[in-house]
Amino acid sequence: MGGYAVRRLLLAGPTLLGISLLSFMILSVLPGDPIAARSEGAPVSAEVEARLRAELHLDRPALLRYADWLASAARGDLGRSLRDGRPVAGILSAALPWTILLNAAALAAIYGLALPLGLLQARRPRSPWARLAGAGLVVVSVVPSFVAALLLQALLSVRLGWLPLEGTGDVAGGPMSAGLSLPAHLVLPALCLALAAWGFATRYARGAFAAAIPATDLAAARARGLRGWGLLRHFAPSLALPLVWLLGGLLPSLLAGSVVVEEAFSWPGLGRLMIQAVLGRDIPVAMALLLLSGTAVLAAQLLVDLLYPALDPRLRDLRPEPSPERG
Amino acid sequence: MSPAPPAPSLRRPPLLRSGAAFLIGAALLLGGCGAPATPPAPAKARFVFSMQTEPTTLNFVTGTDGASVQVERLLSDFLVDHDRTLAIVPRLAESWDWSADRRTLTFHLRPGVRFHDGRPLTSDDVLFTYERLVDPKSKAVGRMDGFLPVERVTAPDPATVVVAYREPYAPALRTWEIPILPAHRYRGVDFDTAPENRAPIGAGPFRFGAWEPGRRIVLEANDDYWGGRPAIDEFVFQIQPSLDTSLLALLAGETDYCKLTATAWGSRRDDPAFRSRYRVITFTPLFYYYIAWRGDGSNPFFADPRVRRALGFALDREGYIRSVLHGLGAPVPSPFAPLLHAPALAGAGTADAAVPAAAALFDPGRAARLLDEAGWTVDRRTGLRMRGGRPFRFTLLVFAGGEDHVQFAQVAQDALRQIGVEMRVERLDWPALLSRLKGGQFEAALSGFSPTPDPDSLYGLLHSSQIGGGQNYAAYRDPEVDHWLEEGRRAQDPAGREAIYRRIEARLVAAQPYTTLFAPAVVGALNTRFEGGEPSPLGLLGHVPGVLALHPAPGGR
Repeated sequence: MGGYAVRRLLLAGPTLLGISLLSFMILSVLPGDPIAARSEGAPVSAEVEARLRAELHLDRPALLRYADWLASAARGDLGRSLRDGRPVAGILSAALPWTILLNAAALAAIYGLALPLGLLQARRPRSPWARLAGAGLVVVSVVPSFVAALLLQALLSVRLGWLPLEGTGDVAGGPMSAGLSLPAHLVLPALCLALAAWGFATRYARGAFAAAIPATDLAAARARGLRGWGLLRHFAPSLALPLVWLLGGLLPSLLAGSVVVEEAFSWPGLGRLMIQAVLGRDIPVAMALLLLSGTAVLAAQLLVDLLYPALDPRLRDLRPEPSPERG
Repeated sequence: MSPAPPAPSLRRPPLLRSGAAFLIGAALLLGGCGAPATPPAPAKARFVFSMQTEPTTLNFVTGTDGASVQVERLLSDFLVDHDRTLAIVPRLAESWDWSADRRTLTFHLRPGVRFHDGRPLTSDDVLFTYERLVDPKSKAVGRMDGFLPVERVTAPDPATVVVAYREPYAPALRTWEIPILPAHRYRGVDFDTAPENRAPIGAGPFRFGAWEPGRRIVLEANDDYWGGRPAIDEFVFQIQPSLDTSLLALLAGETDYCKLTATAWGSRRDDPAFRSRYRVITFTPLFYYYIAWRGDGSNPFFADPRVRRALGFALDREGYIRSVLHGLGAPVPSPFAPLLHAPALAGAGTADAAVPAAAALFDPGRAARLLDEAGWTVDRRTGLRMRGGRPFRFTLLVFAGGEDHVQFAQVAQDALRQIGVEMRVERLDWPALLSRLKGGQFEAALSGFSPTPDPDSLYGLLHSSQIGGGQNYAAYRDPEVDHWLEEGRRAQDPAGREAIYRRIEARLVAAQPYTTLFAPAVVGALNTRFEGGEPSPLGLLGHVPGVLALHPAPGGR
């Protein structure tokens, strides 16, 4: 078990290195450079451009620039934004909490609705409520999130005045310093982010419930007098596994979806940063973001892998262990 | 000046856009009809301005993008500035004079001007700002070019700045429309990470209040402003990347000014409720779209001026403006047109015989005749024009993030098919488009151009020295035009200069290395809680008095 975790961790190093090299090369072969991106609305003569090119070391081959980047990154220095000269680490750490917050809220919303609905659909597939919910979720999940955002904003904020339209409320020092206005500002963007995933998550949950709780087992448990929470506790171990797996499946698509949602709700997270960085050919920022999301995905996978055996005792012995002396 | 500032765009797949258009319309309608009453005006006059892109930095030297400059000009006065008609007016420099040989420009600074921290603004600050501007380490891309002709800048006393030019440079004064850095704050600190870049100190009408990244920038009225305290107590730049969200925020009373999309304008211009709550602000910026035809012989089409003119005649600019832009825009007959023919800028604003009137710009019959003349005749079988066995089939590059860029290209595609020319459209993002343009790797490209009010700003587009790496994307080469451009740069009397540029304009209309298309107008809506404030071609804020003319409506509606 411990050895497995260590091996996975050791493997993560080269994987991230590969991600970084690939990302750097892709960003470098994109036509156009930071100077072109930066010259928005302003004159740049060939003379000035040559000076700037030298200043930003753009006249050096990409592989050498990657080596420079890697050497600094290994020392913990992610460089400075080509856009505004600020240290990349500072830019990222300002936006990261906002994205984490938004995604956590969306996950809570997804699980909060998908689990009860999934259970309902698994237990009573023919009930009108289950059918209604199923149809509703299909409709909801095909509405593009920017349209959903506009509709929700127009209805719930502008017309009814129930929820804030956009932004984060008056918070000066990041999400942690916010009071009660932040949860209110979080509702609509989290809802929009959740919309697209609800249908999938509910269908997945229905499948998981159906597979984990065969009707005969349920009848047996009932016969032993289990009801309500007791029933849930009884089946929790076999349900935990698929629900943890769902998390791994949802995370990447949530991160992708937050780009659109962050724009519609003027949310100061990583999604907008990523658009700016790529369109502005701001390689240091884009690199740091790609590395960050790469790390997040690897970490999620690792977590799921480690949780599996913890949740399901059967898997502990099935783990392939190539060492012959244990065979 | 330079190619299109990539218009702030809503980055969505077009298919989704059109499919969802009615839903958006429904959403906006929903938002409109039930808008709650404007909340009672607080004791403090707070003006919230919706902005789509966040400034990169508030360092007055390196923050040269549109959003940064918009904020900077409220925090720091410029050395000299322009009024609504774009005529130059004194600001931090109270006056200036030229030496007899027009090679030395002397600024006399306004006495008694202080930075927000109380320190006086002196010639040392101007000198320091200049030195940072021309230092490549500062990477002040947008402002360096205008200072290339400067030989040196000196500060003989605290109230005087002397600029020596290598040779007379007619646009010189306008290049000093720059904010001034407080030297005492920046000396000896890292220029890129100085705390002032995020919390600037200026000498302008507003003090810096707060910058919440990705959300808003808050400015407060400067009680000690030399020009008198502004009537707005708090000015907020609210960052709202989506124009749709921005409109909803305006309707909800959360913001006081926002830009409208053409669609939003089309659906609201006849709505009396909307018109009574919002004052509509319209202006035509110094900006137009154009197509550059690569005319250096690298393709078989565009080395011939008859072909370039023909394609120009095939494009219905007025039709596009009417049907797509809801009338918000004007055809541009020549690259100099907004500068020489606008009443505010030209001496008399007279029409010019050499420049076709807007109505004469669209003439498909003439387009067909010119193409026939140039040897491109219609092939009966395919309906396509051919010459020497080669079909007239080329690729137009466009900026994928610009709605007008893409839409006009589609319209042009249809129009050209009518006269037997097949145009393919290749969409690129901004840096990619620019690198193709600069490298000359294209046949034709649709882009945008923002000239400064000075006609010399077309030097880069037209002078042969700017081919390859510069902005002369069309590879236009005419020794006479080169000579006139150099003359115009040196010429001293305004009437003489205008004559020179009219000569160049007449030549361009005939040669048409660039086909100018149209200038889109900008429409904004301003809550009637505020009065005053008129736009210039540089927007509501981009001139003097700009923000200083804005004040709460009496009675505090």
